[in-house]
Amino acid sequence: MLILSTILFGCANNKEEVVSSEEKSEKNMLTFAWPRDIGEMNPHVYNPSQLFAQSMVYEPLVSYQEGGELKPHLAESWEISEDGKEYTFHLREGVKFSDGTSFNAEVVKKNFDTVLNHLDMHSWLGFLSKINSTEVVDEYTFKLTLTEAYYPTIQELAVVRPVRFLGEAGFPEDGDTSKGVVEPVGTGPWVLEDYKVDEYAVFKRNEEYWGELPKEEKITVKVIPDAETRVLAFEKGEIDLLYGEGTISLDAFKQLESTENYESSISEPVATRQLVINSKKEQLSDEKVRQALHYAFNKEALVEGVTSGYEEKADYILPTNLPYTKDNGATVIDYDVEKAKSLLDEAGWTLSEGETVREKDGQPLEFELMYDSAEQIQKTMAEVIQSEWAAIGVKLNIVGVELTEQVQRFKDNEFDVNFFSNYGTPYDPHTFLNIVASEGFGFNEAISAYPNKAEILKQIAEVPQTTDEAQRQQLYTSILTSIQEQGALIPISYIKKTAIYQKDVTNFTFPANRDEHPFTNISMK
Amino acid sequence: MGTFILKRMFSIIPVFLLAALVTTGMIHLSPVDPAEAYLTAAHIQPTDELLEQKRQEFGLDQPFFIQYANSIIKICQLDFGISYVSNKPVWDEVITRIPATIQLALGSILIAILVSVPLGFLAGIKKNSMIDHFSRFLSFIGASIPSFWLGYLFIFFFSVKLDLFPVEGTGTWLHLVLPSVTLALPLIAIYTRLLRASVLENMNEPYVLYARTRGIKEKIIMAKHVLRIAISPMITGLGMNLGKLLTGTIIVEAVFSWPGFGRYFIEAIFNRDIPVIQCYVLIGASLFIISNLLVDVIQMVIDPRISRKVGYKQ
Repeated sequence: MLILSTILFGCANNKEEVVSSEEKSEKNMLTFAWPRDIGEMNPHVYNPSQLFAQSMVYEPLVSYQEGGELKPHLAESWEISEDGKEYTFHLREGVKFSDGTSFNAEVVKKNFDTVLNHLDMHSWLGFLSKINSTEVVDEYTFKLTLTEAYYPTIQELAVVRPVRFLGEAGFPEDGDTSKGVVEPVGTGPWVLEDYKVDEYAVFKRNEEYWGELPKEEKITVKVIPDAETRVLAFEKGEIDLLYGEGTISLDAFKQLESTENYESSISEPVATRQLVINSKKEQLSDEKVRQALHYAFNKEALVEGVTSGYEEKADYILPTNLPYTKDNGATVIDYDVEKAKSLLDEAGWTLSEGETVREKDGQPLEFELMYDSAEQIQKTMAEVIQSEWAAIGVKLNIVGVELTEQVQRFKDNEFDVNFFSNYGTPYDPHTFLNIVASEGFGFNEAISAYPNKAEILKQIAEVPQTTDEAQRQQLYTSILTSIQEQGALIPISYIKKTAIYQKDVTNFTFPANRDEHPFTNISMK
Repeated sequence: MGTFILKRMFSIIPVFLLAALVTTGMIHLSPVDPAEAYLTAAHIQPTDELLEQKRQEFGLDQPFFIQYANSIIKICQLDFGISYVSNKPVWDEVITRIPATIQLALGSILIAILVSVPLGFLAGIKKNSMIDHFSRFLSFIGASIPSFWLGYLFIFFFSVKLDLFPVEGTGTWLHLVLPSVTLALPLIAIYTRLLRASVLENMNEPYVLYARTRGIKEKIIMAKHVLRIAISPMITGLGMNLGKLLTGTIIVEAVFSWPGFGRYFIEAIFNRDIPVIQCYVLIGASLFIISNLLVDVIQMVIDPRISRKVGYKQ
């Protein structure tokens, strides 16, 4: 094995200059690799449709921009009634679907009604279950009436699915898109031109697009399930851009970056990697113990070591580039082993002479950290945290489980410490807090030892109904601070997206919406 | 031989029933509830009511024996249910992906035969020669290198560095070369050694001595008699290695982005798409049964002594 690889790699190194690319970009075409098939291009369903592809063809009423700003998109403007229940949207005139038909209030209503017919599938998106009626006011005016005030409505309209718009020709005869669409007709800047399941998809520029035309004429998406193969195809020049979260390993990214043959960029934080500590467990119910755990590991070194600095040390449980998260009042906790030890002593967990694990009333300070066995970062972080906590006399058992089991055990509240990351843009902060407040997701149970749990849950319920901006901000600050200060959620790092591209790719920018595509501005030299 | 085939065909039934039992039992042994797996894949918040409704829909509320009987009836109608992920009939999705896998499997069997028959044969008749050493080296490599790693090595060397083949995808015969060779190498390792051993063994048989005394040329003895008899264990090997080929395609399809059945199966495992997994297991079992039958028939045609041994008239 060794001999063969030496021979192969040896020969290969002498041929460095051979790296060329026979199919090097057909003019004005960008080739992109993605791990999965783009799926059926249906704007109203989920798996296996891929978000980035859906966002290329279908557009929202409102678009999510940097820092959480919500900008007009298919809706030119909107009014919200005094009581926060009525939303009137003035639609952009002159927008055409890719088959030439007009985008108007009728088609908006039709899309909404189709989605609302399957509310059981979409109830996770808060505002949908609060819709009382949809109404066509005139050709370009559409009105939504809610049963109660719900401020994140506008923000939730920016998500990729299920509230984007399919043209009339795309609807099946019975109008029920949950079983499939006839053809992917959208208003977006791209049109699906050619597609072969599990192999590739070619999108061409929608020449009739109402907004700024993309620079490139075509985007080819090659489906390459294996991360190493994606890297090899990129090195060969068959791929122009590798982009996403975890689409290639950080090692591969670092290695490609170090050759200096390519351009690379790293996004703003898209989510926070956190530890959720289950305060329902007796040993973890004491706030001092949880705080001690937070003090006891060197976050900066951990993030630097495990992610090679591609993630950023996190001070807060939500990234501060999300709406309402800037004024987080939580105390930033820095690495301080002595402080951690004294907190544990105060809590009554003492370390006897010659022992390595602290005890209290004859019970050892021992518990379990669960991680997703398929995720290398979680696994390595778990190992580091295990050794850091051992230094203060805490015995941490780490256990790797399959993702589905991790989710299941989290939901069933059968865990001591678990990894989690929030949803990012455009869902947070309200979606994250909604999950914290809901029973059966793990969080609600995990913060059981908080003396002010009831108050926090009350505030979380209150936020979406607040129509006063200042009050909303105040509530968010109070909730996020309180949740973090009591230590059941420990922020570790801010997760970022990576992109690596050939030198002839210019103007690459990350979309502000975590799920959107990055193709509009890109141009090839 | 007709009776033999017929009898063997009937023996398929209990094996098939057992395979169906295993796949039905699989649902009950899995730690994740299929109804919940379905709802999670569809992005639906699983409420107790919905879970109950889905369990009824999947027939999971029925006693095990009825579920088993139902699944057999459905399988006979080629109804493997609906994929949890794509919401489409599993069988429809499978048959669109099978041709690519068959193409890959045939390509690699062809390469394996083309390489291992001459190599194994020559290694056998020229024991301890250069070619024998080479065959040993190749077998060692083929048997010890994991396919996925070999795949990367091939891509790196032949595609990225030498630019001879595309990295991934389908379309031309060039696309087929690297994945087929990757898949063929472990087979070559086995067949070459099998054939070599069998040739060596047969060369000491009395019929070879008799042929020599009759003054038949050595080349003809080897080609017409020894090879024909010696190839028999290799055919058995081919049948038995179908499993290796199937698991091999799973890995090779993933590495080379080959749009086949194996890759579809891997995704199903990650998504806990139970109907797809069931379908895969049953197709795998059926392939084993059928290929074993075929192997037996082919062997009888090649070496009539076998049918005599088992007491069937030709």
